[in-house]
Amino acid sequence: MRGCRSCLALVSFALILVLGLGTTVLGAGETAPIKIGLQAPVTGQWAYEGEMARNCVQIVAGEINGKGGVLGGRKIEIVVGDDQCSPKQSALVAQRMISEKVVAVIGTYGSSVTEPAATIYERQGILNIAYGATAVQLTEHGWKYFFRTCFRDDRQGAFFAQFVNETLKVGNVAILHDNTTFGKGLAEAARASLEKANKAKIVFYDVVTPGERDFTPILTRMHRANPDVLYFTGYYPEAGLIIRQMRDLGSQAIFVGGNAAINDEFVEIAGKDVAKGALMTQEPMPTDLKYPESKAFLDEYILRHNAPPSSPWPVYAADALKTIAAAIDATGSTDSKVLADYIRDKMEGLPGITGPIGFDEVGDRAGAIYLAYEVTADGKFQPYEP
Amino acid sequence: MALFIEQLVNGLTVGAVYSLVALGYTMVYGVMRMINFAHGDFFMIGSYLGFTLVSSALLGGAIPLWAALIVVVVLSMAGVALLGVIVERAAYRPLRRSSRLTAVVSAIGVSIFLQNAVMLIWGPRYRAYPPWSVPSITWQVGGIYINFMQVLILAVSFGLMVALYLFVQRTTVGAAIRATAIDHDTARLMGIDVDQIIRLIFLIGPALGAAAGVLLGLYYRQIHFTVGWTYGLKAFTAAIMGGIGNIPGAMVGGLLLGILEMLGAGYISSAWKDVFVFLILILLLMFRPTGLLGERIAEKV
Repeated sequence: MRGCRSCLALVSFALILVLGLGTTVLGAGETAPIKIGLQAPVTGQWAYEGEMARNCVQIVAGEINGKGGVLGGRKIEIVVGDDQCSPKQSALVAQRMISEKVVAVIGTYGSSVTEPAATIYERQGILNIAYGATAVQLTEHGWKYFFRTCFRDDRQGAFFAQFVNETLKVGNVAILHDNTTFGKGLAEAARASLEKANKAKIVFYDVVTPGERDFTPILTRMHRANPDVLYFTGYYPEAGLIIRQMRDLGSQAIFVGGNAAINDEFVEIAGKDVAKGALMTQEPMPTDLKYPESKAFLDEYILRHNAPPSSPWPVYAADALKTIAAAIDATGSTDSKVLADYIRDKMEGLPGITGPIGFDEVGDRAGAIYLAYEVTADGKFQPYEP
Repeated sequence: MALFIEQLVNGLTVGAVYSLVALGYTMVYGVMRMINFAHGDFFMIGSYLGFTLVSSALLGGAIPLWAALIVVVVLSMAGVALLGVIVERAAYRPLRRSSRLTAVVSAIGVSIFLQNAVMLIWGPRYRAYPPWSVPSITWQVGGIYINFMQVLILAVSFGLMVALYLFVQRTTVGAAIRATAIDHDTARLMGIDVDQIIRLIFLIGPALGAAAGVLLGLYYRQIHFTVGWTYGLKAFTAAIMGGIGNIPGAMVGGLLLGILEMLGAGYISSAWKDVFVFLILILLLMFRPTGLLGERIAEKV
């Protein structure tokens, strides 16, 4: 089965290659298709992520081509490169994308996989828009050609602050993180946003050690600080224990986890009775997006593949293609530098599947579109409604 | 003050579990002068056996909960005790006459073997004890929160420790154990079957470890095949703190370690807790190299 699939991938890849060569031989006339790369893990451990990203991008490409393409009649052609979610493979794919002479690249999934490819694209001056790479440091290199349609890890902190002040409307916040790069970054971002908003007060801020199982001493102290809500930015094994141990200690503070805690095992470890009512901040699942574009897109996706995408990330790939196409149309150019400058400086509020698209000066998606999820009585996650 | 007492209770609970595991290290060391690095894994297997028993139909309501819990603890203890004897026969006895380092390497091998076996049998994910395995009751006594599991852990561990202490100090077999700990050859001359005593040690140690494993599984509910290493290391530290080879030492060491940890986490910082604990261990060993109660071992004259 697996062999068959990679065989198919190979064949389709060969086809694309041949087609690509054909067009170059014919001379890149004004009607030749515009090639846009999609770098994604189409095989390997995260194959389902890559597969869904490819499906999403194909739908948007089909939609654009159905309306007559870009630049007054040129079709969009997607070149898929499989990085298998491996940083090593990622660099090879990037080099092949460059030899394929793509206009821009969408991709990829995983921050550590994105990094080597983005470095190469930057050196060669190729516009690249990541869809599943949320690590903060990616946009700290001062890259000119790198963007991402997914939100940076620490934006979740800003969302949490907003959620506390405007939805939960509580006064005292406790924050706990687990000292990992991700958890600490998110906790610090949440703290900074809360302090900036200057509404809810942070009454407790501390660290737990991942792998540890007894958090009672720290939770006892937290309980004494009497918070209304606890934000834990670490992973689900600790999150499940923390919520249970704080309830055992008698703390009734609302438990809010970050997107590393949202996992079925959280419910299993905490137990349904305890997990019920816990909240999680995370990127919206495609089925929970409420924009008109999202609805149409999802209908098409379900029609083609019988089920909606099962993770939040692939739709960001679709939005990356929308961004590139819009930039090509607006500038009338296929030059990466022109496109990148336009996207960074001029693009604002482009209606995307995941909400309005715009970027800040370092290439991060502007805004913070997240959702709070709530654990239901039967242990499922659903969007929180106050 | 209430906060302090609450942290103290937390510390005692974890410490009691450390003590139970530390007893296994200390007894094996006392009798064989060998550190059984696979002991933490006996503890881990205990919690997995308990998990399987609790999740099985056993607790379906046919017998009352308290009786079912006793059955689970006893069966897990028996299962792991059997495993302990098998491990001793297969991995340690053939090396009894070789150097101590060989035995330690063999112990590490057993540890790796057991961990991977558990990973293959139960899977690499975190497993969780079902929520209904123990009642989730929290009492508030004079401003202090204490829950059912804490009381259960304290009661069972202290019960087991007192029983063990009396067994070793007051019975003929206990005297034989103490004699073997002092000198194998002389003990043999006195008509003590040293192999039998070692087998007994490998029954009691792992059984206590298994009890600790089930209790901790019920307490935290979450188990993983790598926890043996973490808890093994902590319990080993506790055994050293109290003076390795000394049974009351292991009990005191475990309780002390638990309390130090909780106070460190509660009053200094959770992230610095281990630094604090090991700093105290280093200081203690500098001034009392044999551990807190270590000197009593010098019964040899």
